[in-house]
Amino acid sequence: MKKRGRGIGLAFYGTGYGNGFPDVSRARIRLLDDGKVGIYVGSTEVGQGAKTVLMQIGAEALKLDVEEIVFITEDTSLTPDAGTAAASRQTYNTGNAVKIACENFIERLKEIAKEELNLNSSYGLKVEAGNIFLDFFPQKKISFKELSKSYGSGNIEADGEFVAQTIMMDPETGQGAPYWPYTFNACGIELVVDTLTGLVEIERAVFAQDVGRAVNPHLVEGQMDGGFAMALGYILFEDLNLKDGKIYNNKFSKYLIPTAMDTIKVENIIVEDPESTAPYGAKGIGEPVMIPVGPAILNAIYDAIGVRITELPVTPERLIKAIQEDNERKEEI
Amino acid sequence: MVKIDLLVNGKKHSLEVEEDMRLIDLLREKLGLTGVKEGCSEGECGACTVIMDGEVVNSCLVMAFQAHESNIITIEGLDGEGSLHPLQQAFIDAGAVQCGYCTPGMILSAKALLDKNPNPTEEEIREGISGNLCRCTGYNKIVEAINRAKGV
Repeated sequence: MKKRGRGIGLAFYGTGYGNGFPDVSRARIRLLDDGKVGIYVGSTEVGQGAKTVLMQIGAEALKLDVEEIVFITEDTSLTPDAGTAAASRQTYNTGNAVKIACENFIERLKEIAKEELNLNSSYGLKVEAGNIFLDFFPQKKISFKELSKSYGSGNIEADGEFVAQTIMMDPETGQGAPYWPYTFNACGIELVVDTLTGLVEIERAVFAQDVGRAVNPHLVEGQMDGGFAMALGYILFEDLNLKDGKIYNNKFSKYLIPTAMDTIKVENIIVEDPESTAPYGAKGIGEPVMIPVGPAILNAIYDAIGVRITELPVTPERLIKAIQEDNERKEEI
Repeated sequence: MVKIDLLVNGKKHSLEVEEDMRLIDLLREKLGLTGVKEGCSEGECGACTVIMDGEVVNSCLVMAFQAHESNIITIEGLDGEGSLHPLQQAFIDAGAVQCGYCTPGMILSAKALLDKNPNPTEEEIREGISGNLCRCTGYNKIVEAINRAKGV
C-alpha cells in the first residue's frame, strides 16, 4: 500500500572552527599594472564559489567593477594564509579579511593621493570606480591607472587580517558560546512510502536557508541543491557497510549515491537576515545545508506509516523490517 | 601492439596501441585530451564519458583497439572557432558547474541526448544524464542548463 507523509526538520549550525580554536584569515590587496587591483588570498576554491564570492566582496569594498580585479588564490608562494576551505568559514571569515584588507588599501591610497594632489589632509577623499578624488572638489583626482604608472606594479599594497571570536566551552558543564555566527534552516518534505516494496519516493521538497545576505544567490541555490542531494543519499542509499574497521562498499557499484533520477527540484527559499559582524551581512552555508533534510525525511516516513526509523540508510529492506517489527509489537499488545 | 585508425574531434589519427590499453588512456596519454576524466574506473560514475559513433560510452570500459575506425568526440571537440558550444555556455549561465569534475562527461551525455532528441522533457533529461554522477550540484542546475541549451 502507498502511504503519504509530510515532515519537517529544523537546524542551526555554528560556522568557523569554534570552541576557542584560533580561526584566522588573511588577505592582501595590491595595485597592479593598468590600474587593476589584485586580491591575494589563500582560500581554496573547490567548487563552492569562494573565488566568486570573495571577489564580489572585494569589488563592493573597493567600489570597483569586478572586471578590474585580478583574483589570486591557492598559490602559497603568493598568497597569505586564509585558513582551510572547511567549517563553512570562507565567506564569513575570509570575506571579513578581504573587506578589512580593502579598507586598509583604501586608507593607503588616500595617504598617497594626499601627497600626489598636494593636499593638506586626506580628509574628504573618496575612492570609487578606480579614482581617488576630493568629494567636494572632484577635479582634484588621481586614478588607479596613473598611480600604477608612477609607482609600478605591486608597490602599493595593504594587508588585512580577521580573527574570529570563538570561546572555549566550559569542559565541566559543556556550557558556553563556542561558535559565532550561527545559521538557521528548515526543510519540509512530502513523500510516499510503498509498504509492499519499502521504497520511499520524495514528491516535494521545500528548503529555507538563512544566509545573512546572499552575496551570490545563484551559488547559494547551488549549495542548497547539493546539500539536499547529499543528505537524500545519506538517508536513503549510502551505506559504507563497515565491518571490523573495513569498508566493504568501497566502490560506486556498491556505495550508491543519488543520480539525477533520484533527486527532485527543490523549492529553495533564501532567507536574508544580515549578520552584523559579517562582511555585508553574509554567512557561510556549506555544511548546514545538509543537516535538516534527514530529520525531515524521517519525520515524513513516520507521518506516513507511524514507525520511527532509527538506523540509516533507510533501505527498502530496513523499512520493511521496521514495519514488520512494529506490527509484531502491536499484536503482542 | 595493434595499429588503429580513428577520428577524434574531427582529426584523423593512426596509432600503434598496446592490446590492453583502454580508450581513456589513449585519449589522455597519447592524445593529451585530459578533459576526459577518470573517476571510478569501473563504468559507474560517467566522468570519462565520450561520444563514440553518436553513442555515449564510458571510455574506461572501452579498449583502445575497439575504437578502430570509430568517430570519437571529447569535450575538447565541442568548442569551435574560439566560441563555446551552446551547452558549455548554458552550463556556465545556469551555474551548473561546481567542482567541475563531472562536467565534461555531463555535457557530452547532454549533447548525445540533444542530438537524438532535440526537445526532451525534464524526465528525459534526468534519464539522459543518469549515468553521470555529480556530488556537488544536486543535478538541478545541470538539468536547468540542458533545458536552456535545447533548441539553441
